[in-house]
Order: sequence, then C-alpha cells, then structure tokens
Amino acid sequence: MSKKEKFIKGSKMAIPIAFGYIPMGIGYAAIAIQAGMNPIQTISMSFLVYAGAGQIIAASMLGSGAGLLAIVLTNFVVNLRYFVMSTCVLNKVEESNLGLNILSGHLTVDESFAMFSLSENNNIWSYIGLGLTAWLSWCFGAAIGVVVLDFLPVIVANSFNISLYALFVAILIPAIKENRQITILVLVTAILNILLSQFIGNWSLIVSTLIGAIIGMYIVDDEYLLLGEV
Amino acid sequence: MDFINMIILGCAIVTFIPRLIPALFIDKLNFSPKVDKFLNLIPYTALAALICPGVLTVDESMWYIGLIGAIVAAILSWKKVPLGAIVILTVIILIIVYSVVPLMIL
Repeated sequence: MSKKEKFIKGSKMAIPIAFGYIPMGIGYAAIAIQAGMNPIQTISMSFLVYAGAGQIIAASMLGSGAGLLAIVLTNFVVNLRYFVMSTCVLNKVEESNLGLNILSGHLTVDESFAMFSLSENNNIWSYIGLGLTAWLSWCFGAAIGVVVLDFLPVIVANSFNISLYALFVAILIPAIKENRQITILVLVTAILNILLSQFIGNWSLIVSTLIGAIIGMYIVDDEYLLLGEV
Repeated sequence: MDFINMIILGCAIVTFIPRLIPALFIDKLNFSPKVDKFLNLIPYTALAALICPGVLTVDESMWYIGLIGAIVAAILSWKKVPLGAIVILTVIILIIVYSVVPLMIL
C-alpha cells in the first residue's frame, strides 16, 4: 500500500470518531460562547488546544470566573494523559520521523489513541490520516456550534453525549472478549478509577491507568498481548 | 493581551508539551520487554478508566442513561456490529429511551 492509501485507510477509521466529535464540538461551542468567548476564540481553541474534556472544563471554569493560573493548571493535569498515550502510539508505529512524530503528538487524543492502539494497523500515515480527520471534525463541530447554537433539541444533544463512550466500549469489547486476564485487568482498573476519583479528582484517570498497567504486568501473561505484531 | 486569548494560549502550551516530549525522545529510547509490556497494557487500562465512572455522567441528572448506552454498545460490539453502526444505533436507542422515560414517570 502506498502512503496515500494508508492515509486514506486511517481517515476512514476516523468516521465513527467524527460522528461523536461533531455534536460534542457543538456542545463545547455552546459552553464557550456562554462563558464569553467570541466565535474566533471558540474555534481557535479547538484548533490549538484540541482536547475535548480539557476545553470544556476550561470554558466552564472561565464562565464561573476562575483565574488564568487555575484554568491552565487544571488543563495541564487533565491533559497529562496525552504523554502516556503519545508514548504508546509512537512505540507502536513504524517508519516515522521527527516531523511526523510531532504532528502525531498533537493529533493524539483519547479516541485516536484508543482506536489505533487496539487496531492491527501500525503505520504512521494511517495514524496521521486518522488523527487529522478527527481533529478537523472536532474543529468543524465547534464551527457549526457557533453558527447554529441551540439548534439541537436537548434530548438529541444529550443522546449524542453517549457517542464517544459507545465508541470506547465498542473498541474495548472485541479486544477483551476472548481474554479473561485482560477482562479482569479492565474491571480492576475501572473500580480503582471509581475509588480514586473520590479522593484525587482529575488526577485519577492518569493515576489509575498507570497503576492498572503495573498490575497488568503481573496478572497478564505475555502471550495474551499480541498488539502490533500484524 | 486579552484574558481569553491568554487562557487559550496557556492551555495550548500545557496540552502540547506532554504530547511533544515523547515525539522528541522516542527514537532515542529502546524499551526493555518489561516496559514494552507495560505500554501495551496502557490502551486497556486507559479505556477502562475513561469509561468508568465517566459514562455515568452522560446525563448528570439520570446516571442510568449512560449505563444503558454502555450496555447497548457492549451487546452490539459482542455481536460484531461495525463500529460506526454501534455509535449510531446507541445514540438512536438513547433518543428512544429519553422519549419513553417521561411516559414512565407520569
């Protein structure tokens, strides 16, 4: 397959992501505009920051009168997980270079990371195609949002909130279905995160992800991990 | 500079740094099989942490909405329905649930 074909293959993988990002982008835009951001600021934040939850938290904090330092620090904590995700993605891809690595870093979000990591694809051009398509759909969602705010009825908007979780579940199930050890690891990590989130708030996601993986090193046999070998 | 522009710039910088560091150093690192195994487990644990308990806050006032959605997505995925269709069907089913819930309460 040529680079172009791999890129297109990756872009197609992003279609289910885009389906969730566009309505979520609209939702983010609604919060941002309400918090006092103008349309250009609302869209450029999606373009420059590109972090779903992080942006929504920042816009809500702005709306409730939080200061610069508090908003930026919260964003740092919430988005620290991208360090781990970016490392995983780059450890998987083949035939990359510094420029592509940096671009793929910016394109690393929960959805692009999850979909790519648990796919059999390990090509950098596919990841760039996947990531760019997702990124643009996220910005596109914000752009639609600032134009047709409150266009979606509440019931429909709420129903779209499930789309990214549906995506996460749909990526996870096939990967754990025939593997009891990884299923146990997933359950242990989920419970750990529920407990930790009561005590350490925004830190719990990254802390339980890392502790979960450490536990996994002991409870998952090597032969169950066949990622990236295709 | 405008306060909101400073927030956007600040958030952009602190979000980009964690994404940039692996890109700069990954080629210089040779991970041992142990670290490699650790990194291969991350997608599973990250997904677990992303789903739980976040899925229960899909609708802040009705926690079970998210649970219903997750169960629907899990069943469809178990039945090997394609990814895009799972997302669309889950949303449609939730729209139906939302339309039925008020009738049950009344």
